[in-house]
Amino acid sequence: MSGDQGSISLLGTSALLFEAPGSMALHSQQRIWALAREAESWPEVREAVPGMNNLMLSFAQAPRALGELEARLHAAWGVAEPLPLEGRVVELPVVYGGAGGPHIGDVVAHTGMSIDEIVERHSAPLYPVYALGSHPGYCYLGGMDPRIATPRRKVPVVSIPGGAVSIGGAQTGVSASEGPSGWNTIGSTSMRFFDPAQDPPALLRPGDSIRFRVEKVIR
Amino acid sequence: MIEILSASALATVQDLGRVGALRWGVGTSGAMDPLALAAGNILLGNDEGAAAVEVPVFPFRVRFAQDCAFAVTGADVAARLDDEPVLPWWCTQARAGQVLNLGLPQGGTWRGSRAYLCLAGGVEVQAVLGSRSTQLRGAFGGHEGRALRQGDTLPIGISKAEPRSTDFGLVPPALALPLQVDGLPAVRVLPAAEYTRYSEASRAAFWSEPWKITAQSDRYGYRLAGTPLEAVSALEMRSHGIVPGVIQVPPGGQPIVQMRDAQPSGGYPKLGTVIEADLWRLGQAPIGSRVRFIETNWDDAVAAMAQTRRWLDEARRLVDLRRSQRGGR
Amino acid sequence: MMNSNSDRVRQLSDWLGGTDIARLELRGPGESICLQREGGRIVVAPDEPALDAQAPSVAATAASVGVFLHRHPLRDSAIAETGTTVRSGQIVGLLQIGALLLPVTSPCDGVVAAMLLEHGATAGYGTRLVELHPSSTTS
Repeated sequence: MSGDQGSISLLGTSALLFEAPGSMALHSQQRIWALAREAESWPEVREAVPGMNNLMLSFAQAPRALGELEARLHAAWGVAEPLPLEGRVVELPVVYGGAGGPHIGDVVAHTGMSIDEIVERHSAPLYPVYALGSHPGYCYLGGMDPRIATPRRKVPVVSIPGGAVSIGGAQTGVSASEGPSGWNTIGSTSMRFFDPAQDPPALLRPGDSIRFRVEKVIR
Repeated sequence: MIEILSASALATVQDLGRVGALRWGVGTSGAMDPLALAAGNILLGNDEGAAAVEVPVFPFRVRFAQDCAFAVTGADVAARLDDEPVLPWWCTQARAGQVLNLGLPQGGTWRGSRAYLCLAGGVEVQAVLGSRSTQLRGAFGGHEGRALRQGDTLPIGISKAEPRSTDFGLVPPALALPLQVDGLPAVRVLPAAEYTRYSEASRAAFWSEPWKITAQSDRYGYRLAGTPLEAVSALEMRSHGIVPGVIQVPPGGQPIVQMRDAQPSGGYPKLGTVIEADLWRLGQAPIGSRVRFIETNWDDAVAAMAQTRRWLDEARRLVDLRRSQRGGR
Repeated sequence: MMNSNSDRVRQLSDWLGGTDIARLELRGPGESICLQREGGRIVVAPDEPALDAQAPSVAATAASVGVFLHRHPLRDSAIAETGTTVRSGQIVGLLQIGALLLPVTSPCDGVVAAMLLEHGATAGYGTRLVELHPSSTTS
């Protein structure tokens, strides 16, 4: 099923994935949040996990009547009203470029802009937290200026540290812990995004916003 | 308590996985062969989900600091307790001071790649976010959120089973529930969202050719080598939730099967998903070996899960019967 | 059907006396008779063990119905090869009941003499599975 209804696909027997129609937008993401809130109360669903204008429903138990669940999901999307989820604004001081931003040169090469232009365009917006994923505490952010979009790297980097600020395609994000990444790292911030001893363990949640404050630019 | 004697092993504490934390970007982790872990626990009278030590690299040695019943399931690693051979998939009583040595995986009929050291009472590390599995990326859970090192000690829980109910075993599911195509281990796959975006030739190659598990394969993902898979047009995707078993195809066309420590979300196109019921088979396939993919449908995939559930229930029934017959011996 | 043992010995002696045979050994389950000529008479001779036989023998038996296995299903080689020395309680085979594997253990210290049932054959309760020759240190 696709088109205005969005599309549903299977992730094996463990989960299903709903992709919202149209291009990436905050309005769609707010409807995804509403859909998640509705679906998480369904008995088949263990978790309703928003992604970037999409929603994964992990199954508590694989439902026998899959078609019925899909129909129910389409119907719920049809009536989903954008959930504003006004959250907190968290400001992150960022050192752009230098050792903490090893790929800023690749963004320069791809976009044709200077480092200063890239820094200005990256730090200007207020970024809504669309979703958490990728690794503990990691936030997927909406609202990046499309002019600084740079494709994911052909060969992922084996290890970038926690706090790495990166651009992957049309998205930007901050890694919450050390690990591999296929994104272009343009700067670094010191901030603890995840503590398993806390409840909830993640610092941010969908609906919060991040602002990147330019602490320093190393050219 | 057991003490790790081996210097390097990549061994980690795992249980059946951490669920309910995807909303915070926390993947499931857990045993690459959950069937072996559950079976080892059943042999010892533990809950199926008690934590154990997953051992992917050998040899591996531990010392028992206390009397403890144990079972080594998964790959047959020619286990020896002091100098005595220990059968695979068999529960045995260890006495304080004895050393258990796990050797290299062996086997003609079937050869696995990961062994599970299960202990009566389970590995009793602190549970974090509801699980004792090791979350390597976030460095929490299991034993200090990392692989085990020489000198580490692991606490053992109190066993609920009758004392000294040992000396029996199980026929491994690799033999009881075989799945092969043209002599190679096979796993069933449900097509995923981008399946139809791949050329007919690529889809045909995916189902009909063997895929080699390259040396760049681990708990995060299995990188496979074979005919490069080509999408009909370039696919740049939005980040979306994924689960272990999802088969991603990055540029270059060599598929990666996401495994237990995979990120819970990703942005590469997805050709299909290895069904949950068959992930253990992949988890046991050795580096350098080849596998085949079998196209399946929803009903058959759900039936496969029911089959493994029945195998576990039957194992529990037979083991409990054996325990009750032996009494306090 | 059987006469008493002494009747049997007398019958055999009479028969043997009418031949040129110097020595006759008869072995069966639980019995062995040995007769030889000495001078002009047939006498019962001391039992000389055959080259490859030691007496007596014991057997590990099946504790229940099941499939007798010489080797673990994951392995190609037998758990206890004939001729190997085993200790009392040591596993010499397996009994499979569905998914469960039970140990077949040696009842004594000794040497594995023979597998009495084929690998993969069904055993009943009490079926003799493995023949062992106890070592001389046991009574």
